[in-house]
Amino acid sequence: MNPTLGAYRPLRTPMHLAPAWFKVLLLALVSVLMIFVQDMATGVAFASASLALYLSTLPPWRTALKAILWTFLFAAMAAGYQLWRGEWQLGVDIATDLLTVVFLALAVSTATPMSEMLDLLSGVLRPFRRFVPHETIGLMFSLLIRLIPEMVQILGESRQAAMARGVERSPRAILVPAATRTVGFAVDLGQALHARGIADGVVEERDEVVDSELPKSRRARRALESRKARRRAAR
Amino acid sequence: MIVFEDAAVVAPDSGVTILEPTTLTLSERHISVIGANGSGKSTLARLINGLVMPTEGTVTVEGKTTRKHGREVRRMVGFLFTDPSAQLIMPTAAEDVMLSLRRTVKGKDARMRAALEALESLGLADRADVAVSALSGGQRQLLALAGVLAVAPKIIVADEPTTLLDLKWRGHVGALLRSLPVQLIEVTHDLDSAMRAERTLVIDSGKVVFDGAPGDAVQFYRDLIFGRPEQTQRV
Ligand SMILES: Nc1ncnc2c1ncn2[C@@H]1O[C@H](COP(=O)(O)OP(=O)(O)OP(=O)(O)O)[C@@H](O)[C@H]1O
Ligand SMILES: [Mg+2]
Repeated sequence: MNPTLGAYRPLRTPMHLAPAWFKVLLLALVSVLMIFVQDMATGVAFASASLALYLSTLPPWRTALKAILWTFLFAAMAAGYQLWRGEWQLGVDIATDLLTVVFLALAVSTATPMSEMLDLLSGVLRPFRRFVPHETIGLMFSLLIRLIPEMVQILGESRQAAMARGVERSPRAILVPAATRTVGFAVDLGQALHARGIADGVVEERDEVVDSELPKSRRARRALESRKARRRAAR
Repeated sequence: MIVFEDAAVVAPDSGVTILEPTTLTLSERHISVIGANGSGKSTLARLINGLVMPTEGTVTVEGKTTRKHGREVRRMVGFLFTDPSAQLIMPTAAEDVMLSLRRTVKGKDARMRAALEALESLGLADRADVAVSALSGGQRQLLALAGVLAVAPKIIVADEPTTLLDLKWRGHVGALLRSLPVQLIEVTHDLDSAMRAERTLVIDSGKVVFDGAPGDAVQFYRDLIFGRPEQTQRV
Protein backbone atom coordinates (compact mmCIF):
# COMPACT_ATOMS: atom_id res chain seq x y z
CA MET A 1 0.00 0.00 0.00
CA ASN A 2 0.99 3.56 -0.54
CA PRO A 3 2.02 5.94 2.24
CA THR A 4 0.17 8.78 0.51
CA LEU A 5 -3.09 6.97 1.23
CA GLY A 6 -5.46 9.33 2.96
CA ALA A 7 -2.97 12.21 2.75
CA TYR A 8 -4.52 15.62 2.15
CA ARG A 9 -4.50 16.87 -1.44
CA PRO A 10 -5.26 20.53 -2.09
CA LEU A 11 -8.19 20.33 -4.54
CA ARG A 12 -11.55 22.04 -4.78
CA THR A 13 -14.12 19.25 -4.78
CA PRO A 14 -17.34 19.70 -2.77
CA MET A 15 -15.85 17.61 0.04
CA HIS A 16 -12.79 19.87 0.10
CA LEU A 17 -14.95 22.97 0.30
CA ALA A 18 -17.15 21.66 3.11
CA PRO A 19 -16.16 23.02 6.53
CA ALA A 20 -13.93 20.75 8.63
CA TRP A 21 -16.39 20.58 11.52
CA PHE A 22 -19.07 19.27 9.19
CA LYS A 23 -16.86 16.54 7.81
CA VAL A 24 -15.61 15.39 11.19
CA LEU A 25 -19.12 15.49 12.62
CA LEU A 26 -20.39 13.49 9.66
CA LEU A 27 -17.71 10.87 10.19
CA ALA A 28 -18.46 10.65 13.91
CA LEU A 29 -22.23 10.48 13.45
CA VAL A 30 -22.15 7.92 10.68
CA SER A 31 -19.67 5.75 12.61
CA VAL A 32 -21.99 5.69 15.60
CA LEU A 33 -25.04 5.23 13.43
CA MET A 34 -23.53 2.20 11.74
CA ILE A 35 -23.45 0.41 15.07
CA PHE A 36 -27.23 0.62 15.20
CA VAL A 37 -28.01 -0.02 11.55
CA GLN A 38 -28.60 -3.72 11.07
CA ASP A 39 -30.74 -3.59 8.01
CA MET A 40 -28.85 -4.94 5.02
CA ALA A 41 -30.18 -2.52 2.41
CA THR A 42 -29.39 0.50 4.59
CA GLY A 43 -25.92 -0.86 5.26
CA VAL A 44 -25.20 -1.33 1.57
CA ALA A 45 -26.58 2.14 0.82
CA PHE A 46 -24.32 3.74 3.42
CA ALA A 47 -21.28 1.85 2.17
CA SER A 48 -21.94 2.85 -1.45
CA ALA A 49 -22.56 6.46 -0.48
CA SER A 50 -19.31 6.75 1.43
CA LEU A 51 -17.42 5.08 -1.40
CA ALA A 52 -18.94 7.62 -3.79
CA LEU A 53 -17.96 10.40 -1.39
CA TYR A 54 -14.40 9.12 -1.28
CA LEU A 55 -14.22 8.97 -5.07
CA SER A 56 -15.65 12.49 -5.27
CA THR A 57 -12.52 13.81 -3.54
CA LEU A 58 -10.52 12.67 -6.61
CA PRO A 59 -7.91 10.63 -4.75
CA PRO A 60 -4.84 9.47 -6.73
CA TRP A 61 -6.52 6.62 -8.59
CA ARG A 62 -3.86 3.94 -8.25
CA THR A 63 -3.63 4.36 -4.47
CA ALA A 64 -7.39 4.61 -4.18
CA LEU A 65 -8.01 1.50 -6.25
CA LYS A 66 -5.61 -0.53 -4.12
CA ALA A 67 -7.08 0.80 -0.90
CA ILE A 68 -10.61 0.02 -2.06
CA LEU A 69 -9.71 -3.51 -3.08
CA TRP A 70 -7.92 -4.14 0.20
CA THR A 71 -10.84 -2.80 2.19
CA PHE A 72 -13.25 -5.03 0.29
CA LEU A 73 -10.98 -8.00 0.83
CA PHE A 74 -10.77 -7.22 4.52
CA ALA A 75 -14.54 -6.79 4.76
CA ALA A 76 -15.05 -10.05 2.88
CA MET A 77 -12.78 -11.81 5.35
CA ALA A 78 -14.71 -10.39 8.29
CA ALA A 79 -17.99 -11.39 6.67
CA GLY A 80 -16.63 -14.79 5.67
CA TYR A 81 -15.83 -15.63 9.24
CA GLN A 82 -19.37 -14.89 10.33
CA LEU A 83 -20.70 -16.76 7.32
CA TRP A 84 -18.65 -19.77 8.35
CA ARG A 85 -20.25 -19.54 11.78
CA GLY A 86 -23.62 -19.52 10.03
CA GLU A 87 -24.48 -15.92 10.86
CA TRP A 88 -24.53 -14.43 7.42
CA GLN A 89 -26.65 -11.43 8.34
CA LEU A 90 -24.19 -10.38 11.00
CA GLY A 91 -21.44 -10.94 8.45
CA VAL A 92 -22.96 -8.54 5.94
CA ASP A 93 -23.65 -6.04 8.70
CA ILE A 94 -20.02 -6.06 9.86
CA ALA A 95 -18.73 -5.83 6.30
CA THR A 96 -20.88 -2.81 5.42
CA ASP A 97 -19.99 -1.10 8.71
CA LEU A 98 -16.34 -1.54 7.95
CA LEU A 99 -16.61 -0.35 4.36
CA THR A 100 -18.62 2.71 5.36
CA VAL A 101 -16.29 3.85 8.12
CA VAL A 102 -13.07 3.25 6.16
CA PHE A 103 -14.27 5.00 3.00
CA LEU A 104 -15.71 7.90 4.89
CA ALA A 105 -12.51 8.29 6.94
CA LEU A 106 -10.51 8.29 3.70
CA ALA A 107 -12.89 10.82 2.16
CA VAL A 108 -12.50 13.16 5.15
CA SER A 109 -8.74 12.82 5.44
CA THR A 110 -8.01 13.38 1.72
CA ALA A 111 -10.23 16.46 1.70
CA THR A 112 -9.29 18.14 4.99
CA PRO A 113 -5.87 19.59 5.89
CA MET A 114 -4.54 18.15 9.13
CA SER A 115 -4.05 21.63 10.54
CA GLU A 116 -7.78 22.30 10.18
CA MET A 117 -8.66 19.08 11.96
CA LEU A 118 -6.20 19.93 14.73
CA ASP A 119 -7.59 23.43 15.12
CA LEU A 120 -11.03 21.92 15.31
CA LEU A 121 -9.94 19.49 17.99
CA SER A 122 -8.22 22.25 19.97
CA GLY A 123 -11.29 24.40 19.59
CA VAL A 124 -13.62 21.70 20.82
CA LEU A 125 -11.40 20.99 23.80
CA ARG A 126 -10.82 24.66 24.62
CA PRO A 127 -13.68 24.99 27.10
CA PHE A 128 -12.10 22.14 29.03
CA ARG A 129 -8.61 23.63 29.03
CA ARG A 130 -8.49 23.71 32.81
CA PHE A 131 -8.76 19.95 32.87
CA VAL A 132 -7.14 18.75 29.65
CA PRO A 133 -4.01 20.11 27.96
CA HIS A 134 -5.72 20.64 24.60
CA GLU A 135 -2.49 21.44 22.75
CA THR A 136 -1.02 18.17 23.94
CA ILE A 137 -4.03 16.25 22.79
CA GLY A 138 -3.88 17.92 19.39
CA LEU A 139 -0.25 16.93 19.13
CA MET A 140 -0.99 13.36 20.22
CA PHE A 141 -3.69 13.13 17.63
CA SER A 142 -1.41 14.29 14.83
CA LEU A 143 1.28 11.86 16.00
CA LEU A 144 -1.22 9.05 15.83
CA ILE A 145 -2.18 10.03 12.30
CA ARG A 146 1.49 10.31 11.47
CA LEU A 147 2.12 6.75 12.63
CA ILE A 148 -0.51 5.18 10.38
CA PRO A 149 1.16 5.56 6.97
CA GLU A 150 4.47 4.66 8.60
CA MET A 151 2.96 1.45 9.97
CA VAL A 152 1.50 0.59 6.59
CA GLN A 153 4.90 1.04 5.01
CA ILE A 154 6.66 -0.97 7.72
CA LEU A 155 4.14 -3.79 7.34
CA GLY A 156 4.68 -3.82 3.58
CA GLU A 157 8.44 -3.91 3.98
CA SER A 158 8.27 -6.65 6.60
CA ARG A 159 6.11 -8.72 4.30
CA GLN A 160 8.62 -8.28 1.48
CA ALA A 161 11.49 -9.14 3.79
CA ALA A 162 9.65 -12.30 4.88
CA MET A 163 8.97 -13.16 1.24
CA ALA A 164 12.61 -12.67 0.34
CA ARG A 165 13.50 -15.20 3.03
CA GLY A 166 10.73 -17.57 1.98
CA VAL A 167 8.77 -17.33 5.24
CA GLU A 168 5.84 -15.24 3.98
CA ARG A 169 3.35 -17.79 5.27
CA SER A 170 4.32 -17.22 8.87
CA PRO A 171 2.42 -14.27 10.38
CA ARG A 172 5.02 -14.15 13.12
CA ALA A 173 7.82 -13.56 10.65
CA ILE A 174 5.94 -10.48 9.46
CA LEU A 175 4.32 -9.16 12.62
CA VAL A 176 7.22 -9.45 15.04
CA PRO A 177 9.71 -7.38 13.02
CA ALA A 178 6.94 -4.97 12.03
CA ALA A 179 5.98 -4.42 15.67
CA THR A 180 9.60 -3.95 16.70
CA ARG A 181 10.18 -1.44 13.94
CA THR A 182 6.96 0.43 14.71
CA VAL A 183 7.99 0.79 18.33
CA GLY A 184 11.44 1.87 17.17
CA PHE A 185 9.89 4.50 14.93
CA ALA A 186 7.71 5.75 17.77
CA VAL A 187 10.75 6.03 20.03
CA ASP A 188 12.64 7.97 17.33
CA LEU A 189 9.64 10.21 16.85
CA GLY A 190 9.53 10.89 20.57
CA GLN A 191 13.21 11.75 20.63
CA ALA A 192 12.79 14.07 17.68
CA LEU A 193 9.90 15.76 19.42
CA HIS A 194 12.10 16.26 22.42
CA ALA A 195 15.01 17.48 20.30
CA ARG A 196 12.82 19.99 18.48
CA GLY A 197 11.67 21.33 21.82
CA ILE A 198 8.06 20.70 20.86
CA ALA A 199 7.22 18.93 24.09
CA ASP A 200 8.62 21.99 25.93
CA GLY A 201 6.43 24.18 23.76
CA VAL A 202 3.34 22.35 24.85
CA VAL A 203 4.07 23.04 28.52
CA GLU A 204 4.51 26.70 27.70
CA GLU A 205 1.23 26.92 25.85
CA ARG A 206 -0.43 25.99 29.08
CA ASP A 207 1.24 28.95 30.76
CA GLU A 208 -0.13 31.14 28.00
CA VAL A 209 -3.61 29.97 28.70
CA VAL A 210 -3.14 31.10 32.26
CA ASP A 211 -1.89 34.46 30.99
CA SER A 212 -4.90 35.07 28.81
CA GLU A 213 -7.17 34.37 31.71
CA LEU A 214 -5.49 36.86 34.03
CA PRO A 215 -8.07 37.60 36.68
CA LYS A 216 -9.01 41.20 37.14
CA SER A 217 -8.63 41.59 40.86
CA ARG A 218 -5.16 42.58 42.02
CA ARG A 219 -5.06 40.03 44.78
CA ALA A 220 -5.78 37.16 42.46
CA ARG A 221 -3.17 38.42 40.03
CA ARG A 222 -0.55 38.65 42.73
CA ALA A 223 -1.32 35.11 43.84
CA LEU A 224 -0.98 33.94 40.27
CA GLU A 225 2.35 35.68 39.81
CA SER A 226 3.82 34.18 42.93
CA ARG A 227 2.59 30.80 41.80
CA LYS A 228 4.33 31.26 38.46
CA ALA A 229 7.50 32.47 40.16
CA ARG A 230 7.47 29.39 42.33
CA ARG A 231 7.00 27.20 39.33
CA ARG A 232 9.90 28.93 37.58
CA ALA A 233 12.11 28.45 40.63
CA ALA A 234 11.19 24.79 40.70
CA ARG A 235 12.49 24.28 37.18
CA MET B 1 30.84 26.70 23.33
CA ILE B 2 30.21 23.13 24.46
CA VAL B 3 32.01 21.80 27.52
CA PHE B 4 32.16 18.16 28.64
CA GLU B 5 33.45 17.72 32.17
CA ASP B 6 34.10 14.09 33.01
CA ALA B 7 30.81 13.31 31.28
CA ALA B 8 30.17 9.57 31.24
CA VAL B 9 27.21 7.46 30.24
CA VAL B 10 26.47 4.09 31.81
CA ALA B 11 23.51 2.03 30.57
CA PRO B 12 21.00 2.09 33.43
CA ASP B 13 19.82 -1.50 33.15
CA SER B 14 22.99 -3.41 32.29
CA GLY B 15 25.60 -1.16 33.90
CA VAL B 16 27.63 -1.26 30.68
CA THR B 17 29.72 1.84 30.04
CA ILE B 18 28.61 3.46 26.78
CA LEU B 19 30.82 6.55 27.10
CA GLU B 20 33.82 6.72 29.41
CA PRO B 21 34.39 9.92 31.39
CA THR B 22 35.10 12.53 28.74
CA THR B 23 36.46 16.03 29.12
CA LEU B 24 36.31 18.26 26.05
CA THR B 25 35.85 21.87 25.07
CA LEU B 26 34.24 22.29 21.66
CA SER B 27 34.51 25.84 20.37
CA GLU B 28 35.53 25.39 16.72
CA ARG B 29 32.91 26.25 14.17
CA HIS B 30 32.86 22.90 12.50
CA ILE B 31 33.77 19.70 14.30
CA SER B 32 33.38 16.22 12.88
CA VAL B 33 33.04 13.00 14.85
CA ILE B 34 34.00 9.65 13.32
CA GLY B 35 34.24 6.07 14.57
CA ALA B 36 32.99 2.54 14.02
CA ASN B 37 29.38 1.38 14.43
CA GLY B 38 28.47 1.17 18.08
CA SER B 39 31.51 3.14 19.23
CA GLY B 40 29.42 5.78 21.00
CA LYS B 41 29.23 8.67 18.51
CA SER B 42 25.47 9.08 18.75
CA THR B 43 25.64 8.97 22.52
CA LEU B 44 28.22 11.76 22.51
CA ALA B 45 26.11 13.79 20.09
CA ARG B 46 22.91 13.32 22.08
CA LEU B 47 24.63 14.45 25.26
CA ILE B 48 25.05 17.89 23.70
CA ASN B 49 21.36 18.70 23.56
CA GLY B 50 20.24 16.71 26.57
CA LEU B 51 18.59 13.86 24.69
CA VAL B 52 20.96 11.70 26.74
CA MET B 53 21.93 12.80 30.23
CA PRO B 54 25.41 12.07 31.58
CA THR B 55 25.26 9.55 34.41
CA GLU B 56 28.41 11.21 35.77
CA GLY B 57 29.97 14.61 35.15
CA THR B 58 28.30 17.44 33.24
CA VAL B 59 27.76 18.78 29.75
CA THR B 60 27.45 22.54 29.46
CA VAL B 61 26.33 24.57 26.45
CA GLU B 62 27.00 28.32 26.55
CA GLY B 63 27.23 28.09 30.32
CA LYS B 64 24.01 26.10 30.80
CA THR B 65 24.16 22.50 31.97
CA THR B 66 21.98 20.07 30.07
CA ARG B 67 20.70 18.56 33.28
CA LYS B 68 19.39 21.77 34.86
CA HIS B 69 18.58 23.84 31.80
CA GLY B 70 17.39 21.23 29.32
CA ARG B 71 14.86 23.50 27.73
CA GLU B 72 17.24 26.42 27.18
CA VAL B 73 19.90 24.07 25.84
CA ARG B 74 17.49 22.48 23.35
CA ARG B 75 16.54 25.93 22.22
CA MET B 76 20.17 26.69 21.41
CA VAL B 77 21.06 23.29 19.99
CA GLY B 78 19.22 21.98 16.94
CA PHE B 79 19.48 18.26 16.28
CA LEU B 80 19.36 16.57 12.90
CA PHE B 81 18.80 12.80 12.82
CA THR B 82 19.93 10.27 10.24
CA ASP B 83 16.39 9.36 9.26
CA PRO B 84 14.42 12.52 8.60
CA SER B 85 11.14 10.56 8.51
CA ALA B 86 11.25 10.12 12.25
CA GLN B 87 11.78 13.82 12.71
CA LEU B 88 8.92 15.02 10.56
CA ILE B 89 5.65 15.05 12.42
CA MET B 90 3.04 16.92 10.45
CA PRO B 91 1.65 15.65 7.16
CA THR B 92 2.79 18.48 4.89
CA ALA B 93 6.05 20.38 4.64
CA ALA B 94 4.67 23.80 5.58
CA GLU B 95 2.71 22.42 8.52
CA ASP B 96 5.79 20.70 9.86
CA VAL B 97 7.86 23.87 9.87
CA MET B 98 4.92 25.71 11.42
CA LEU B 99 4.97 23.22 14.26
CA SER B 100 8.54 24.25 15.06
CA LEU B 101 7.46 27.87 15.04
CA ARG B 102 4.55 27.42 17.44
CA ARG B 103 6.55 28.68 20.35
CA THR B 104 8.32 31.62 18.74
CA VAL B 105 5.87 33.05 16.21
CA LYS B 106 2.40 34.00 17.40
CA GLY B 107 -0.52 34.03 15.02
CA LYS B 108 -1.29 31.52 12.32
CA ASP B 109 -0.72 33.80 9.34
CA ALA B 110 2.60 35.06 10.60
CA ARG B 111 3.62 31.49 11.28
CA MET B 112 2.63 30.44 7.78
CA ARG B 113 4.68 33.26 6.28
CA ALA B 114 7.72 32.39 8.41
CA ALA B 115 7.39 28.73 7.45
CA LEU B 116 7.24 29.57 3.75
CA GLU B 117 10.31 31.75 4.13
CA ALA B 118 12.18 28.95 5.86
CA LEU B 119 11.21 26.52 3.09
CA GLU B 120 12.19 29.01 0.42
CA SER B 121 15.64 29.56 1.90
CA LEU B 122 16.31 25.85 1.47
CA GLY B 123 14.84 25.69 -2.03
CA LEU B 124 11.67 23.90 -0.95
CA ALA B 125 9.21 26.70 -1.69
CA ASP B 126 7.27 24.64 -4.25
CA ARG B 127 7.02 21.69 -1.84
CA ALA B 128 5.11 23.56 0.87
CA ASP B 129 1.79 21.76 0.40
CA VAL B 130 3.22 18.41 -0.62
CA ALA B 131 2.70 15.43 1.68
CA VAL B 132 5.87 14.68 3.59
CA SER B 133 5.61 11.05 2.51
CA ALA B 134 5.77 12.11 -1.11
CA LEU B 135 9.12 13.91 -0.75
CA SER B 136 12.41 12.32 -1.75
CA GLY B 137 14.87 11.34 0.99
CA GLY B 138 17.03 14.36 0.25
CA GLN B 139 14.08 16.73 0.30
CA ARG B 140 12.94 15.21 3.57
CA GLN B 141 16.32 15.82 5.16
CA LEU B 142 16.19 19.43 3.92
CA LEU B 143 12.72 19.76 5.41
CA ALA B 144 13.95 18.38 8.73
CA LEU B 145 16.71 20.98 8.56
CA ALA B 146 14.17 23.72 7.81
CA GLY B 147 12.28 22.68 10.94
CA VAL B 148 15.47 22.87 12.98
CA LEU B 149 16.60 26.19 11.50
CA ALA B 150 13.19 27.78 11.94
CA VAL B 151 13.90 28.33 15.61
CA ALA B 152 17.32 29.92 14.94
CA PRO B 153 19.62 27.63 16.94
CA LYS B 154 23.23 28.63 17.71
CA ILE B 155 24.52 25.10 17.35
CA ILE B 156 23.48 22.21 15.13
CA VAL B 157 24.33 18.65 16.05
CA ALA B 158 23.86 16.37 13.06
CA ASP B 159 24.01 12.60 13.60
CA GLU B 160 24.93 11.12 10.23
CA PRO B 161 22.70 13.56 8.35
CA THR B 162 23.74 12.30 4.92
CA THR B 163 24.04 8.54 5.47
CA LEU B 164 20.74 7.77 3.72
CA LEU B 165 21.25 10.20 0.84
CA ASP B 166 22.60 9.65 -2.66
CA LEU B 167 25.79 11.30 -3.88
CA LYS B 168 24.11 14.42 -5.21
CA TRP B 169 21.99 15.06 -2.13
CA ARG B 170 24.88 14.21 0.16
CA GLY B 171 26.91 16.97 -1.45
CA HIS B 172 24.02 19.38 -1.37
CA VAL B 173 22.99 18.82 2.25
CA GLY B 174 26.62 18.72 3.39
CA ALA B 175 27.46 22.02 1.71
CA LEU B 176 24.32 23.61 3.05
CA LEU B 177 25.10 22.53 6.61
CA ARG B 178 28.61 23.92 6.37
CA SER B 179 27.38 27.23 5.00
CA LEU B 180 25.06 27.91 7.93
CA PRO B 181 26.00 30.63 10.41
CA VAL B 182 25.98 28.16 13.32
CA GLN B 183 28.43 25.91 15.11
CA LEU B 184 28.17 22.48 13.50
CA ILE B 185 28.96 19.18 15.21
CA GLU B 186 28.68 16.49 12.57
CA VAL B 187 28.79 12.76 13.23
CA THR B 188 29.58 11.02 9.97
CA HIS B 189 30.80 7.88 8.24
CA ASP B 190 31.63 10.01 5.20
CA LEU B 191 35.34 10.60 5.65
CA ASP B 192 35.45 13.20 2.87
CA SER B 193 32.91 15.22 4.75
CA ALA B 194 34.75 14.66 8.04
CA MET B 195 37.89 16.10 6.42
CA ARG B 196 36.13 19.40 5.76
CA ALA B 197 35.86 20.18 9.47
CA GLU B 198 38.31 22.24 11.50
CA ARG B 199 38.68 19.57 14.13
CA THR B 200 37.85 15.87 14.26
CA LEU B 201 37.18 13.49 17.15
CA VAL B 202 37.68 9.75 16.71
CA ILE B 203 35.59 7.60 19.03
CA ASP B 204 36.32 3.97 19.77
CA SER B 205 34.64 1.74 22.36
CA GLY B 206 33.13 4.68 24.19
CA LYS B 207 36.35 6.69 24.32
CA VAL B 208 37.64 9.72 22.43
CA VAL B 209 40.84 8.15 21.16
CA PHE B 210 41.94 10.99 18.89
CA ASP B 211 41.21 14.69 18.90
CA GLY B 212 42.88 16.97 16.41
CA ALA B 213 43.33 17.92 12.78
CA PRO B 214 40.90 16.14 10.43
CA GLY B 215 43.63 14.74 8.15
CA ASP B 216 45.46 13.14 11.06
CA ALA B 217 42.19 11.95 12.58
CA VAL B 218 41.12 10.14 9.42
CA GLN B 219 44.53 8.53 9.13
CA PHE B 220 44.33 7.47 12.78
CA TYR B 221 40.88 6.01 12.20
CA ARG B 222 42.00 4.04 9.15
CA ASP B 223 44.95 2.64 11.08
CA LEU B 224 42.65 1.80 13.96
CA ILE B 225 40.34 -0.20 11.74
CA PHE B 226 42.80 -1.78 9.33
CA GLY B 227 45.57 -2.08 11.90
CA ARG B 228 49.16 -1.02 12.04
CA PRO B 229 51.57 -3.15 14.06
CA GLU B 230 52.33 -0.60 16.78
CA GLN B 231 48.74 0.51 17.10
CA THR B 232 46.92 -2.80 17.26
CA GLN B 233 48.47 -3.12 20.70
CA ARG B 234 47.07 0.22 21.85
CA VAL B 235 43.58 -0.86 21.07
N1 LIG C 1 20.20 2.79 26.28
C1 LIG C 1 21.18 1.94 26.02
N2 LIG C 1 21.33 0.84 26.78
C2 LIG C 1 22.32 -0.04 26.54
N3 LIG C 1 23.20 0.10 25.56
C3 LIG C 1 23.12 1.17 24.78
C4 LIG C 1 22.09 2.15 24.95
N4 LIG C 1 22.24 3.11 24.01
C5 LIG C 1 23.31 2.73 23.27
N5 LIG C 1 23.84 1.58 23.74
C6 LIG C 1 25.03 0.89 23.22
O1 LIG C 1 26.09 1.81 23.29
C7 LIG C 1 26.95 1.66 22.19
C8 LIG C 1 27.17 2.98 21.50
O2 LIG C 1 25.98 3.36 20.84
P1 LIG C 1 25.90 4.61 19.86
O3 LIG C 1 24.54 4.62 19.27
O4 LIG C 1 26.35 5.82 20.56
O5 LIG C 1 26.95 4.20 18.75
P2 LIG C 1 27.30 4.91 17.38
O6 LIG C 1 28.76 5.18 17.39
O7 LIG C 1 26.43 6.06 17.12
O8 LIG C 1 27.03 3.77 16.31
P3 LIG C 1 26.48 3.87 14.79
O9 LIG C 1 27.65 4.25 13.94
O10 LIG C 1 26.04 2.49 14.51
O11 LIG C 1 25.38 4.85 14.78
C9 LIG C 1 26.34 0.59 21.32
O12 LIG C 1 27.02 -0.62 21.56
C10 LIG C 1 24.92 0.51 21.76
O13 LIG C 1 24.42 -0.78 21.61
MG1 LIG D 1 24.90 6.44 15.71
